[in-house]
Amino acid sequence: MIIFRKSVSIFVLLIIFTESYSQKKSNFYGSFESTGIYYQENEVDNYNEEFASNNYLNLKYIFNSNWSFEAQIESYSPIRLQGYSDSFEKTHLSTLSINYKKNGFGFTFGSIYEQFGTGLSLRTWEDRELGINNSILGMRSTYENDRVTIKFVGGWQKKGRQISVGKVLGLDSEFTLLDSDETYQNLIIGLSYVGRFENLAFPDIFPPVGYEFNDLTNLFSGRVDYAKNDFYFAYEQIYKTEDGIAQFGLILNDFVKKGSAHTMNIGIAKSGFGFDFTFRRLENMGFYGDRFEQGELYGESTINYLPALTKQHDYLLTNINIYESQPYVSFPDPSLMKAGEIGFQMDLYYDIEEGTFFGGKYGTSLSLNLSSWNNLDGKYSYNPLDYETNFLGFGQKYFSEQSLELRKKWSDNFSNIFLFLNKYYNKRYVAEKFGEINSQVLVVDNTIKLKNKKSLRLEVQHLFNKDDMKNWYGFGVEYNFNYNFSGYYNTIVNYQNTDDGKPRYYSFGASYSKNSSRFSVSYGKQRGGLLCYGGICRYVPEFKGLSFSINTSF
Amino acid sequence: MLMLKNILAFSVIIVFSLQINAQENVPNVDLRTIGGKSLKSIDILNNEGFSIISFWATWCIPCINELDAINDLYDSWNEKYNIKVVAVSTDDARSKKRVRPMVSGKNWAFDVYVDTNQEFKRSLNVSGIPHTIVVYGSKIIHRRIGYTPGEEKDLLNIISKYNQ
Repeated sequence: MIIFRKSVSIFVLLIIFTESYSQKKSNFYGSFESTGIYYQENEVDNYNEEFASNNYLNLKYIFNSNWSFEAQIESYSPIRLQGYSDSFEKTHLSTLSINYKKNGFGFTFGSIYEQFGTGLSLRTWEDRELGINNSILGMRSTYENDRVTIKFVGGWQKKGRQISVGKVLGLDSEFTLLDSDETYQNLIIGLSYVGRFENLAFPDIFPPVGYEFNDLTNLFSGRVDYAKNDFYFAYEQIYKTEDGIAQFGLILNDFVKKGSAHTMNIGIAKSGFGFDFTFRRLENMGFYGDRFEQGELYGESTINYLPALTKQHDYLLTNINIYESQPYVSFPDPSLMKAGEIGFQMDLYYDIEEGTFFGGKYGTSLSLNLSSWNNLDGKYSYNPLDYETNFLGFGQKYFSEQSLELRKKWSDNFSNIFLFLNKYYNKRYVAEKFGEINSQVLVVDNTIKLKNKKSLRLEVQHLFNKDDMKNWYGFGVEYNFNYNFSGYYNTIVNYQNTDDGKPRYYSFGASYSKNSSRFSVSYGKQRGGLLCYGGICRYVPEFKGLSFSINTSF
Repeated sequence: MLMLKNILAFSVIIVFSLQINAQENVPNVDLRTIGGKSLKSIDILNNEGFSIISFWATWCIPCINELDAINDLYDSWNEKYNIKVVAVSTDDARSKKRVRPMVSGKNWAFDVYVDTNQEFKRSLNVSGIPHTIVVYGSKIIHRRIGYTPGEEKDLLNIISKYNQ
């Protein structure tokens, strides 16, 4: 706390100094976020009757439009929130960078957030909800003009308060070959290279123990994006050179494999109609700053971004049995061997016009999503560890989902959302537990605008499930007293699960927002399970307690 | 509980002492159109008038509620004031491909851009969405977190007051 206060004091002094030295082109700003929970009861013993909080202060300074500086101080006081990696501790400086940009050239030293293409070969970003901050500590240089963008990145990956053992090196280039506003036609191609150098030898042991595979693992990627009028198409392919595979915390010299990724996207976007289809195949694409991170709970030093391509839902019961992408090689036992995933996702959007029979006075929006993901088909051997896959073979199904959402506005003051989804979840293959689950979820979400800036939202949900934990119901009420102050209550009940005493989870709370600040407080019992944002998930144990959060930008 | 008090007190001091140094201008960083074309954040704004920047994502229900509500009023807003609405999608690689068909399917009348690795979002210190920023030229005149039904009407009041 003392370090935290000292650091902030320095920044406050800097602000005062800057303001007094004020030049119109300089700018000091930032954000502050704090989430604290008093854990009354907890699945994890050491959090029982404990207070924990995660705090982030981010400060940026722009000088003369060419220079910018960024610093972030994080404080986990007295301890981090549960479900976050052990490496998040105490108060420390987590991000520090200096940037310079002029005439198309750019240089960054310090913490680097970068993405090549869609992130399939490299993405470094921060997600506080998930406890992810895999920024590269090193340097970046960039050059860009209207037709060409070239980026070079090199350094170590951030892992909590430490950095990865392996070094990461990346080069990305993007060329705009066609760019016509008249015909709305563009063609962009990109080529990338990402290398991770990690020497796993143990020279202190005699005779020295080493691994036979190369210390340097390479990813070569090519991508193309094409669009003409209402049509668009994108394809990306990655080739990964041979790499040792971590299983049960061990890397064996005789289980060394290449990897690959293929993704194809095609779509049509017309007025009132949108269609999108994505195919993706990933084989042995886990890629970390440290090889042994594979299979670890938090996967902190992930270099590439391989999210689940399924629809991200926002309702409590739709977030039970969520699919996590399976890009890795995992051989936990002879009856469960995986080398990656293959599958597709399709989206359809349609706007039923106002004044038609189904559109009504205000129109109706419809969206349909289908997705299906399978293991790679092929020959698998547990002893010795080996596999050989078929390129377009679909193996054991992991997950599939079909969902239909209707948004309907009935009057100026009343609207609702209907959502129905049908889901298959192979718990054995995805979560490496037991069972297969078929379930359906129905949600009706109603919004009523009342007088004097007040509004009410009522939401009812039901999950139909003959397998696993059987049926659930849930409902939620949210009342907005005005545009600033809201209160809510929601509950979900696993009413057919007599084995576990019909578990019930609930939460009630209030929030106050004013300009760019938000304060909220809540109390309740939260279901344990996967918390997912952007297709990446983190396991959060069940708890009961009092939470607060403060969030401001300045 | 002493720690809780400390953190709360400390947070409140930070929030209020730093509000006086509010970010004044929209930073100039890279964005892309939904067609994939690269451009600068300054170029998406209305140089001579008001812009409303709305950070959203295809999976964020209140964000879509806000943009649907703005879309219903967009024509009448433009009759009164010269307002440009720019919806900046923060969808990453997982859901980015859903942006263009969804925008077409919804027939939104305003411009939509993508901020795939959230550089623009980060440069404006936006942590949660929906987050809406009202801008005159490139000067930030108002920002807010969250959306409650009807709140879009308040944005027009802010613009109207500033215009006086």
